[in-house]
Amino acid sequence: MKNARFLADYGMILVLVLLCAFFSVVTYSDQSPKGAAAAKQIVAVIGQQFGKTPRMLIAASDQPDDAAFVASIESALTASGAEVVAIVKGEPKDAREALMKINAAGGKLDVIACTQVTGAWLVFSDLKTNFPALGEPRVIMPRSYRWPNFLKSENLLNIANQIAVIAIVAVGMTMVIITGGIDLSVGSLLALSAVLCARFIRDYAGGVNASLGGMLLACIAAIALCGIVGAFSGTMITRFAIPSFIVTLAMMLVGSGLAYILAKGQSIYQIPDSFVWLGRGADMFSMPNAVVLMLVLYALAHVLMARMKLGRYLYAVGGNGEAARLSGVPVKRVLMFAYIASALLAGLGGVIMASQLKSGSATYGNMYELYVIAAVVVGGTSLSGGEGKMLGTLTGAFTIAVIQNGMNLTNVESYTQKVVLGLVILGAVLLDKIRHAR
Amino acid sequence: MKRLFITLLTCTVALLVGCDKPASTTTQSPDTKSKGTIGVSLLTLDNPFFKVIGDNIAAEGKKRGFEAIVVSGDKDVAKQSNQIKDFIVKKVSAIVLSPCDSKSIIPVIQDANAAGIPVFTVDIPCNESGVKIVTQIATDNYGGGKEGAQAIIEALGEAGGKIAVLHFKQAESCQLRVKGFTEVINAHNASGKAKIDIVTELESGAAKDMGYRAAEDALQAHSDLRGIFAINDPAALGARAALEKAGKTEQVVIIGFDGQPEGKQAIKDGKIYADPIQFPDKMGVQIVDAIIRHSIGETLPPQILIPTSLYRKADAMKDPELK
Repeated sequence: MKNARFLADYGMILVLVLLCAFFSVVTYSDQSPKGAAAAKQIVAVIGQQFGKTPRMLIAASDQPDDAAFVASIESALTASGAEVVAIVKGEPKDAREALMKINAAGGKLDVIACTQVTGAWLVFSDLKTNFPALGEPRVIMPRSYRWPNFLKSENLLNIANQIAVIAIVAVGMTMVIITGGIDLSVGSLLALSAVLCARFIRDYAGGVNASLGGMLLACIAAIALCGIVGAFSGTMITRFAIPSFIVTLAMMLVGSGLAYILAKGQSIYQIPDSFVWLGRGADMFSMPNAVVLMLVLYALAHVLMARMKLGRYLYAVGGNGEAARLSGVPVKRVLMFAYIASALLAGLGGVIMASQLKSGSATYGNMYELYVIAAVVVGGTSLSGGEGKMLGTLTGAFTIAVIQNGMNLTNVESYTQKVVLGLVILGAVLLDKIRHAR
Repeated sequence: MKRLFITLLTCTVALLVGCDKPASTTTQSPDTKSKGTIGVSLLTLDNPFFKVIGDNIAAEGKKRGFEAIVVSGDKDVAKQSNQIKDFIVKKVSAIVLSPCDSKSIIPVIQDANAAGIPVFTVDIPCNESGVKIVTQIATDNYGGGKEGAQAIIEALGEAGGKIAVLHFKQAESCQLRVKGFTEVINAHNASGKAKIDIVTELESGAAKDMGYRAAEDALQAHSDLRGIFAINDPAALGARAALEKAGKTEQVVIIGFDGQPEGKQAIKDGKIYADPIQFPDKMGVQIVDAIIRHSIGETLPPQILIPTSLYRKADAMKDPELK
């Protein structure tokens, strides 16, 4: 029985771990070193197989990683006496030009040193027929090792970054759902906030030359305006006892419409480059800033829900509103808090998204309310209120992100992705039911 | 209870394993080594036009040794960005996209550029600074507009008369269509033949309902209207409905655009006179061709335009796709 309870409480984490393990196995594939490490390998191979004085061509792209690759090979091999006939930094057509030049001059080539990317260029695939004068050069690429694409650190950070917005909005949604309500307006508020923020920066903070302070003010203003919308929804729900589903459905339409009006149906992009810091920067231990912000918010929300009076009130209102009122819980104020928090976090999500995409558009956040609700529900929060955990929601959000990312990495097509995602959400709710039937 | 839980888990995992079949075979058989993977993210797959592009990229790619992953951006630029980031992690050898938003997609195209992965666009261009796009493949909308004008000249014959244009001004592609159309009509009028007068240019929303209303308004204002040029099939079909309601189907001819199945059927039934049709299948094939030509080091033009072709009732009668 103790085992069963453990499974019930941490079932979703187990599912997440299993999913990760599964995708690690199926995305197990060739990886290759980059930059100077790759160069070292190539130098070693050339030294062994071609002696000290091969004639060679180095092919790389014009990107910074590859510049190190080219420089290290060149310096190591010219020192040992090899002749670097040409260096290609760019595209396949640059390689073709270089080869044609060498071919026309009748020069021979022994080795073509490539990166993983340039080695796959078809220009090197049939050298004998296309460039007969070159002799029989061999294409050398850095030796690959096997490692799952899924488990590469860049992919794991990629997943966290992709889900950060949904996960942050889900914090507020968890509170609302724990009180027994629902907030359908978050997707639209996200778009509204992105548009507001972009417009404030464009119209009042100086556009592409906006200062840090200006941008900060624009973000705060956008988030605060969303908070006002949330307060409005909260008032409708508490004062006039309109069901939250209806109020937030209406606000979803209002918010989306306002966003389209303010953006005039286009995306607003006159934003300074530095604005992407929040969404795409990575200052702490190469963790994306949005992910750091997400983790901080979850830590705060966890403390709020588990340790503070307000948290207990939220559970009490959702568990039994009448009982909570009779025992002196300020039900209306607690509900107001939940809807305002949800709207503020949706606003924050919109600002992050505007930063990630370096523009604001009314099309953002479409259907996000459903993903957010899915994350909360998959995380084990009960839609009937009174029950749920912040860390469960985080697990739920990651489960959705891992499934989406994993399916993109394993060539699952779009239609199938939707089917799988839907079934997983259903499975999670089923799990929740089983837990209650215990 | 525990057993049920485990059953559930097994089911989920089994389902995912089931889905993955096509991908895992290629990673396990290095003998038939593929030349690489093409990552494709299209605007949407709800529209048959994009579905055909995707299917043809996959088919042509397979024929020439490439694998293709085709996903739908669902008109959501954030989703499309994530898909492209996943392509970059997967180290695909080329990325093809029809941007959901040409401004907001810039950062992620820059990421692809930084990873040395060539980027191609299809149907919708991305003409922004700071991004490197190998080539952009699209329909020759300007030429298509000219063909539309020829069709209406042909349909109105000696008599000439008043015509209306159902526009969709937001889309650059539609502006080009109307530009080509107007130029040919003006040239026709200058040549001294029976005059064709563009009396009104109305917004059609590129959709049936708005096309319907716009055509009704045009008929109210000009009861002697003889022709309508609509910038796509839904607008043309909406206009047709308005004609049927007004009982003017004999008086007014409609020229559409696109050649979607519904539009082709309407041409077969004589409801639309003709369409300059687009060739999404050719676009798909051309994309793969462009990827290979880029990879063997050929220089590609910044833009490859696929010409349209005029599709009349006679073509529809022979079309095996229509029953």
